[in-house]
Amino acid sequence: MSVRKVLIALPIIVLLFLIQSYFWVPTYEEQTRGNPQRLGEYVTASIGDAHLLNPILHADSASGEISGLVFEGLIDYDENLNFRGRLATGWKIYEEAYFYVNDLATIPGLGQADAKQVKKLMRQAKREHSDRKDALSKSLANIEAIEILPPRLLQEELSETSPDGKKVKVLLQISAPPRIKLTLQRVDQDLFRNLEKILGHEYFSSFQAERYIRIEPATFEAKNSEYAETFLPAKEHNPVILFHLRPGVKFHDGHAFSAIDVKFTYDAIMDPANISPRLADYEPVKKVEVLDTLTVKIVYKRLYSPALGTWSMGILPEHLLNRAALQDEALRSGLKLETISIRNSSFNRKPIGCGPFRFHEWKSDQYILLNRFEDYWEGPPNYREYSYRIIPDMLTQEMEFYAGTVDNYGAQPHQVHRLKEDPRFQSFSGLSFGYSYVGYNIRRPPFDDVRVRRALGMAIDVDKIIRYVLYNQGERITGPFPKQTDFYNHAVKPLPYDPEGALRLLAEAGWKRNREGWLEKEGKRLEFTLISNQGNPIRKQLLPIVQNSWRKIGVDVRTDLLEWAVFIQERVNKLDFDALVLGWAMGIEPDLYQIWHSSQTGPHQLNFVGFKNKEADDLIIRIRQEYDRERQIAYCHRLHEIIDEEQPYTFLFVGRWTALLDKRIVIMERDVDGTLRYEKIKPTKTGNYTFFFNKWIKLPTVPTFEAEG
Amino acid sequence: MLAFLGRSFVQKLITLFFISVISFAVIYLAPGEPSQVDPLNPKFTKEVVERFRQQFHLDKPLHQQYLLFYRDLFTGKSVSWKDGRSVLAKIYERFLNSLPLFIVGTLITWTLSFPVGIQAAISRGGGYDRSTTFLAYLLISIPGFFFAYILIIFVVNTFHVPVIGMRTFGLSGAGLATRMMDRVWHLLIPSILGATAGIAVLSRYVRGQMLEVESQDYVRTARAKGLPEEQVHYKHALRNALLPFVTMFGLVLPGLIGGSVIIESIFAWPGIGRMAYEAILARDYPVIITVNFISAILVLVGTFLSDLLYMVVDPRIKL
Repeated sequence: MSVRKVLIALPIIVLLFLIQSYFWVPTYEEQTRGNPQRLGEYVTASIGDAHLLNPILHADSASGEISGLVFEGLIDYDENLNFRGRLATGWKIYEEAYFYVNDLATIPGLGQADAKQVKKLMRQAKREHSDRKDALSKSLANIEAIEILPPRLLQEELSETSPDGKKVKVLLQISAPPRIKLTLQRVDQDLFRNLEKILGHEYFSSFQAERYIRIEPATFEAKNSEYAETFLPAKEHNPVILFHLRPGVKFHDGHAFSAIDVKFTYDAIMDPANISPRLADYEPVKKVEVLDTLTVKIVYKRLYSPALGTWSMGILPEHLLNRAALQDEALRSGLKLETISIRNSSFNRKPIGCGPFRFHEWKSDQYILLNRFEDYWEGPPNYREYSYRIIPDMLTQEMEFYAGTVDNYGAQPHQVHRLKEDPRFQSFSGLSFGYSYVGYNIRRPPFDDVRVRRALGMAIDVDKIIRYVLYNQGERITGPFPKQTDFYNHAVKPLPYDPEGALRLLAEAGWKRNREGWLEKEGKRLEFTLISNQGNPIRKQLLPIVQNSWRKIGVDVRTDLLEWAVFIQERVNKLDFDALVLGWAMGIEPDLYQIWHSSQTGPHQLNFVGFKNKEADDLIIRIRQEYDRERQIAYCHRLHEIIDEEQPYTFLFVGRWTALLDKRIVIMERDVDGTLRYEKIKPTKTGNYTFFFNKWIKLPTVPTFEAEG
Repeated sequence: MLAFLGRSFVQKLITLFFISVISFAVIYLAPGEPSQVDPLNPKFTKEVVERFRQQFHLDKPLHQQYLLFYRDLFTGKSVSWKDGRSVLAKIYERFLNSLPLFIVGTLITWTLSFPVGIQAAISRGGGYDRSTTFLAYLLISIPGFFFAYILIIFVVNTFHVPVIGMRTFGLSGAGLATRMMDRVWHLLIPSILGATAGIAVLSRYVRGQMLEVESQDYVRTARAKGLPEEQVHYKHALRNALLPFVTMFGLVLPGLIGGSVIIESIFAWPGIGRMAYEAILARDYPVIITVNFISAILVLVGTFLSDLLYMVVDPRIKL
């Protein structure tokens, strides 16, 4: 008897116990009614977990998002993507330019001249040109001060490898000649080119620095010109950023923020033990000087206009990560003194910054909890708590959103149409900072002919792709800049869909259709392989569509979908491909050096299509060196045109994202007299709806707003 | 007996060594590199990538990497490349999360399979037997992730309650009982899903064993003695049918790690399976190999335990 009853009763008891738990779990409505604290919490979800919560070390977007809330940079971008001060109240960018007096050069109308004479000549020129408007006069008017730096003696010790493979110490005795220091109001990349008009065309290039260097042992004499380049450059641009810091800002542990923290953050990035991926951004910095507790002067080795933007990176607290603090930690945790660095410090799992939210708890692959920082310099955020959940699956994220335990959800393209109209949610959408393209290996025929590349682009009906693959959640793009920035040239029109025109262009290039309908040139069929990587559903769909479009005009294309690692290592890095479908994520800064400069076309480099254009190279460098935004925009527009003329890529589209938000979330502002004012959340001009996140709050009921006027 | 233990131990040690070599080789020779060495990020300069390589010993020959890795593992020093935390600590933390899921899942599987299977055997060929057979094959053949999605969508849309993760978010202000029950609720659906395939297979197995035993002579004898049906089934037949399941219990052990990669990923459950899966995607070699190694140990320990258990339950077997 009993065995049977036990066997039947046991599972029923187990299941009943499990199922009754349902009655304890709150539904969407009850979550806030029974637990009003929920209104002060913002819950968001992410597919992947953060790696390291440290602004100088992280390289993944989840860590970036959390770091952005816990840490604060000196500056950031405002609603219109212009810079605004955060930890810095203001900044000034100017330049210190240097050149060595070249006493052998002949200056027109003066002959050979020493430092004093050069200075006098420049002063004179500045006066004479004060009412003129040409390039030289502008450069001269920009000069604020002219100083002579006296000659000096330098000693440098280097370690070199001798021809037989041994390490040798090389001693350089440098007796540097006098130098002229120019202080400029604005950064001027054309300064020396213009000065040559008064100092003579070869004044800088004929400077023989080797004369001033004595090398021991003399066997390394051959390297003199290399040393001269490093230690005695004839001319030097040293742009300077002077930051004035905000007084009274505190870190989450109450320690006051000061200029020392800024310098420390820079030093931490440069410290090789930390292996910071931001190294490239800060390599152009010559030195960071603390002028007083609230002023930092940053001097750059050379012209580098993305420099200002790099200071939006979060600032680390020096008092928690300096050598002494790390050694303390090493003692406590039993790590070796010499191996401890910021990279393996436990700080990265419980960070302290001076951002609007303070770190509270992190459970790997579950959640990261942040609390608002009551002493935040701009006033504490409205939300009391910020939860960052890790939900690796998109569909379950969506379900959690419906159940009310996640407050926002990024709709997939095919859902947008349905969910946008849903009365339960408010929705926002905007263009993403990333585009998809077909890239051609320009080194290989037939892609070395621009007409072929253009024709292939014209054979693809991109509008149709946007309509059917992206469910209209995308826009055409014609060049490498983000469409929502000023750098994008809207005058460049996308390639038309025109298979006939494509055939005409191909015919011009010598490709004619044969009897079977394939394109042929000198008996060779136009055939190649189009590849892409696995794991991206959109690219996977693009492959056959592009293949089909090209087959229609007689191009014999095969396609291949490769696993990501194989795709990158075996094909892209080794430059072994004909054409590929890929995408780039873009930053706001218009620096295209790594992807488009001709020096970056080698294996393992990012200009893997092999795009080379002299004018484009020049523009890319000029964009990097230009500090004037208007001129930078003009250069970008021209570069955009060149890339469009050359068609190294067929630019396809940029995606459109749509975010859904619980309708009860609004902006709450406190007026001076203490009354609360509610407003609907509005996206900024660039589509960023989380810009005013610190002012968001969830209300118990869906608010009604007066009709928008 | 002692000889058996010693022989078995040595055998397993040798197997373990080969597993360690093979799993190491497979992972290192597979294409792809750790995300820190991701070459398609313009922010990563050559120097940075090179330094990462050095730090991870990727610049050394393979046999040296092997020795370095297992030295670190046995001294407890190996750290995850992803976040620099100790691998063993990470695994332990995840193990604690996987444990309740594993226990509840196993509980449901084992308690439910027996009554279902036994009843099917008793009513062999009848409507009940046919429908459970149909259901069992349905549950075996339906892909786990698909079933999970259907179940989640159904529960969320009908009952409007959250089901993902280990607990409901934003419930920190609620009472202790509510929070406990909330956790039980979040266990329910993933463990049911984890158990479905198990129930389907195990109940079939129980049915088969029961049928085999029921046709034995001693069962007929029991009937002929005039014992009530219930006693025949549950006392004479069931006891003997249980024997093979003792050994199966030992094999449940490895399921602790590998059993629930899909369920854990879908339900955002921070368990071991999901950690291993994500480590594979990020090429976090220390985590992958350590999990691999531990699950190999679990398999070996599991088989060893079932050998021993069998010896204990079945006196006919001598080792």
